[in-house]
Amino acid sequence: MGTTVIGDDLLLSLLWMVPLGGSFAILLMPGRATTLIRRFALGTTVLTFLLTLVVFASYLSLGPDQSSLASRALISPLGDPKVAAVEGNLAVRNAWIPEFGIEYYLGVDGISLALLLLTSLVAVLACGASMDVEAKAKGYFSLFLLLTSSLMGVFLALDLVLFYVFFEVMLLPMYFLIALWGGERREYAAIKFLLYTLFGSVFILVAILALYFWPGDAPSFLPGGQFKAHTFDVLQLTRAASETGYYGHGIQQWVFALFFIGFCVKLPSFPFHTWLPDAHVEAPTPISMVLAGVLLKIGGYGLIRMAWPLAPAGAHDWAYPVAALGVFSILYGALAAMAQTDFKKLVAYSSISHMGYVTLGMAAMNLAGDHRFYAYGLNGAMYMMIAHGITSTAMFFLVGVIYDRAHTRDLTRLGGLERTMPLYYAASVVIFFGSMGLPGLCGFIAEVFVVLSSFHYSVALGVLAAFAVVLTAGYILWTLRRVFGGRNDSLSLLPDLTRREKAILAPLVVLTVMLGVYPRSLLDWMSPSVDEVAKMVIGAKGNRGNLAKFRPSDAPVLDLQPRDLAEVAEVPR
Amino acid sequence: MTWQLGLYATAILVPLIAFVVQLAAGRRLGHRTAYVATAAIGLSFVLSLVGFVSYFAEVARSRPHHGASPVVWRGDLSWVGLGPSVPGLPASSPGRPLELRLGLDVDNLTVLMFLMVTFVATVVHVFALAYMRGDPRYSRFFAYLSLFCASMLALVASSNLFFVFAAWELVGFCSYLLIGHWHEEIANVDAASKAFLVNRVGDVGMLVGLGLLWANLGTLDIRTINDQIRDGDGQLNVATVEGSSVVELRNPGAVDIATGLPRRIGYGLLVVAGLGLFAGCVGKSAQFPLHVWLPDAMAGPTPVSALIHAATMVAAGVYLVARVFPVFTPEVLLTIAYTGGITLFIAGSIAMVQADFKKVLAYSTVSQLGFMMIALGVGGRSAGLFHLMTHACFKALLFLGAGSVYHAVHTYEMPALGGLYRRMRTTALTMLAATMAISGVPLFSGFYSKDAILASTLHFVMGQPEHILLFLLPAVGAAITAFYMFRLWFLIFAGQPRSPAASRASEGERLLTWPLIALAVPTVALGWPVTILPFFGFEPILERMLEYGEPIESIDPGGVQWWAMGASVLVLSVGFGLGALYYGPWIAWRRLDPKKTAHRFGPIHEFLARKWYFDELYRAVLVAPTLAIARAIGWTDRRAIDGAVDGVAWITERFSRFEGVFDRVAIDRLVGLIARGVYATGDRARWLQNGSLPTYLMVLAVAVVGLFAAMFAWILA
Repeated sequence: MGTTVIGDDLLLSLLWMVPLGGSFAILLMPGRATTLIRRFALGTTVLTFLLTLVVFASYLSLGPDQSSLASRALISPLGDPKVAAVEGNLAVRNAWIPEFGIEYYLGVDGISLALLLLTSLVAVLACGASMDVEAKAKGYFSLFLLLTSSLMGVFLALDLVLFYVFFEVMLLPMYFLIALWGGERREYAAIKFLLYTLFGSVFILVAILALYFWPGDAPSFLPGGQFKAHTFDVLQLTRAASETGYYGHGIQQWVFALFFIGFCVKLPSFPFHTWLPDAHVEAPTPISMVLAGVLLKIGGYGLIRMAWPLAPAGAHDWAYPVAALGVFSILYGALAAMAQTDFKKLVAYSSISHMGYVTLGMAAMNLAGDHRFYAYGLNGAMYMMIAHGITSTAMFFLVGVIYDRAHTRDLTRLGGLERTMPLYYAASVVIFFGSMGLPGLCGFIAEVFVVLSSFHYSVALGVLAAFAVVLTAGYILWTLRRVFGGRNDSLSLLPDLTRREKAILAPLVVLTVMLGVYPRSLLDWMSPSVDEVAKMVIGAKGNRGNLAKFRPSDAPVLDLQPRDLAEVAEVPR
Repeated sequence: MTWQLGLYATAILVPLIAFVVQLAAGRRLGHRTAYVATAAIGLSFVLSLVGFVSYFAEVARSRPHHGASPVVWRGDLSWVGLGPSVPGLPASSPGRPLELRLGLDVDNLTVLMFLMVTFVATVVHVFALAYMRGDPRYSRFFAYLSLFCASMLALVASSNLFFVFAAWELVGFCSYLLIGHWHEEIANVDAASKAFLVNRVGDVGMLVGLGLLWANLGTLDIRTINDQIRDGDGQLNVATVEGSSVVELRNPGAVDIATGLPRRIGYGLLVVAGLGLFAGCVGKSAQFPLHVWLPDAMAGPTPVSALIHAATMVAAGVYLVARVFPVFTPEVLLTIAYTGGITLFIAGSIAMVQADFKKVLAYSTVSQLGFMMIALGVGGRSAGLFHLMTHACFKALLFLGAGSVYHAVHTYEMPALGGLYRRMRTTALTMLAATMAISGVPLFSGFYSKDAILASTLHFVMGQPEHILLFLLPAVGAAITAFYMFRLWFLIFAGQPRSPAASRASEGERLLTWPLIALAVPTVALGWPVTILPFFGFEPILERMLEYGEPIESIDPGGVQWWAMGASVLVLSVGFGLGALYYGPWIAWRRLDPKKTAHRFGPIHEFLARKWYFDELYRAVLVAPTLAIARAIGWTDRRAIDGAVDGVAWITERFSRFEGVFDRVAIDRLVGLIARGVYATGDRARWLQNGSLPTYLMVLAVAVVGLFAAMFAWILA
């Protein structure tokens, strides 16, 4: 167990510091030592992945009772940031800029851990896929590791400013990776990506500042102290918003709208999505993998960690338009994908479609009825993020494989590859059907949970979302037909997957099957945290939720009583 | 949990494990993987047989009667449980996580479906061992078959609609893979894609049905819904709440945790849910208007057509309708009946004029599935299921026979065949038995099941004469069936060979003929009224087994049976007579000439030969507009939305360029002016800073004096 060897402080910090250190170390290496640089970068990502596994193991050893991030991370008395969170709780808390109450505050729960695992895994695979980068390898791998570091940081940060810093830092390497190593229109795509994201982050920044500067004292709700206004602490703000209705409906509506627009750019959702096809088409294959597999998830993560919990009443007020937007994105993305002839662009549009399920699953909140249906929607949304992270990473890699060989991504010029590359065909079938939502593969759980629960919110939206299964099948099958069907003599000599390509695809294929056959392998440790969010959102004061009916009237709203510090310290690990 | 449940779980898992083994060891085993697949399904068959015996032994002990609650073996476990559990609640309270439970529910229907599926599948596996030999994708073919068998068995054993749906999609996936088996021909891939897509259209309805049931009733457990949605008399539990009628689950445990009231679904929504579920069945069982995929699916290898597209998967829709029978309101049942009626007529009419005998069999399958649907729609649940069972045997036999013929002559075109009886006697005779069974010749299995269907519809029509069409359609359809089936048999086996290939044809090896004989046995005998305790009387024992424990709202045709039998013999005679007159070899001197008839009814013949133009219609009305919308959206995205984005960027850039010019021209100049002014002033003031203390002091003094002067001036003013 990791935490007995190294403390939480170090362990969690290493998750983003290791790739950052690797990035700097590469800068010190001679530029001509390409092989060394590649191997070093790969080693760094592997180390990061292993460290994430250590965190995962310690998280599992905490047990399901400890899935609530708030109950672990909030243990340190408020107003005294010098006291760090209890060791072994997988939370780190130190003052950073005390003048403004900004903290170096990291922590993991099921939601962030799932995404951290995804990030570090995709980083390893994308780095493996980068092994043939020749040009300016030093710069490439240095930037790649910097990107990895900032992505890990985004999912770790529990302080809004810290989050924002990681969020912005990520733009820089991404911009250069597209602009320098990309395709023909790389500069256009890179600047488009940069401007779009900056546009979105303005909204996020305003929302963060609005929360910070909101005046006044909320009623006391923590045994250890008073809620202190002017904080960037996500968890405290969440509790303030959820339990006290502190900001009121009007402000929550604004905060929600700002967060939502900001993260929608990243997700991306219609109408802020057009940077994605360009960025994907121009980015080199490994960067596309990271972009689709992880970067888009920041949008979803921001929604589930900030937009909804920090403004639950606002989220409820906006629910219908947001859910409708989600459904529209699903259908729009699927139809747009159907119209593409560029393999990579098609996959890019399919991402837009799939991310619509994330929006829909989160927004379909029916407070008048049984709240447990919302948990299915929210879990489905999270499941979609992980499932899509796996399948889209694989899909972009598959596109890259064929592009390396045939030097074209034009679907009208491919064909007949089932015979030529049988293994490639087998992997593609699993991945594409996994993305389409075939039972037994990961996309199914996500899609069906979201669609089923949306019926509890609005029959009309549910029916429309159900219609997407035809469109999704349409573009997936048509793609498979155009790539693998028929005969194509000009491609009949292409070699099948190499050992390296097999190694990259194998974990993705295995995960696609595993998450489809046994969803509890993910849900068992992720869903308690997701349910926690559902509970916060549904039961928020100001929402007319029904949770109260089943609550003993005098009991605390949430079972978040921090236990005695000594008791926590004795938790066997 | 009874041991039988373990037995059935094993029967599902064995082919699944075989599938994994074939994938994992495929390279090492090579073509021997086929034996793994065949052995696996054979084992499943043995297990199903044991389960069958054990089940009906148990039933015999419990004395069955109509409407009694049947013997059921069931068990499930929590697969996923989600939802914020509220602290401080007792474990039994509804505030617990909402669960999706994975489980098996084995009743008489499941037992019989298992027996049928595993039997047909085993026979088809054996046939395919020889038939597919030499195929470059031989082992992959058997791996897919194993996956299919596991999914199909899971479909008929699942206790929960969620998993029925999952298995439902998986059998469709296997069908997709197997139809597109010969990937080199793009037409095969198109056929496979079409099959999957058309099925998915039905699945939209299925998802809607699942979503409505799930969101309103909070469970997808089939038996829970079936048992609780109706009361003891078989009536729906309709209540009126706030002026609208709702259907309630009558179970004290099933309360909505938000309202504390029984879980309920609006009557209108229940109708929609029923129609949705049925839409899924329409897709899978190739009913009008989604029947278009099945004839194209014949692009797959013939064993696949026999197993998947005749006996098992396409019957899954019928199975599901029977399984969720209590959920259907009268409106939905009527829709089902008419859908079946229209389908059986359309498909039968098309089958009459096809030249490709595999296509004839395909349309015949669609038509027979329509017979089953109409039976279910009018309430004849056991009649429809009975026909499902008999049809599985004789249609699988017909397809395997077709495979045997193709193996000999390498064509499906009937005009190029003829006279095969003398060269392929086993195939000819077994196919004759199947032809007689499907046409409803007395004493053959199909006679009993078709008779039961006609009796059900007659019974229904006698109660509601305005729906007379529901009797006429199957009656006419039965005549059509006899016509096109005898046409097929005569054209292939009777007369003289019409091509060199046909005159050289010979019977294949034993692996190809034994399966035909194995299937011929139930084809003949499945309907016989053998009396076995506790199923008494002169009715077919299989039907009695299916009837057992049936929902009370299904009908018992009773006395009209003899009338139906008369009608059925009559239509058989008409169909057979016409078939013989047109195509029979022995009355050549006065037979009708099909070419002349076709010429006389030119437009109608063309209309039928072109399959009622469904493909053309759908292409024009559904596919083309969807693609047009897709293209329009693709264009919008690139031009309109991106255009707007680029436009904003352009404007911003222009503005900044203008600003740049403004900056240089105006601001810079202004700044320059100011700078020059400041410089000049400074230059002039330079003498002040000459470094000598006295000068500073003097300036300071003047300034202070000036300030004071100003202050005083202000105060005094």
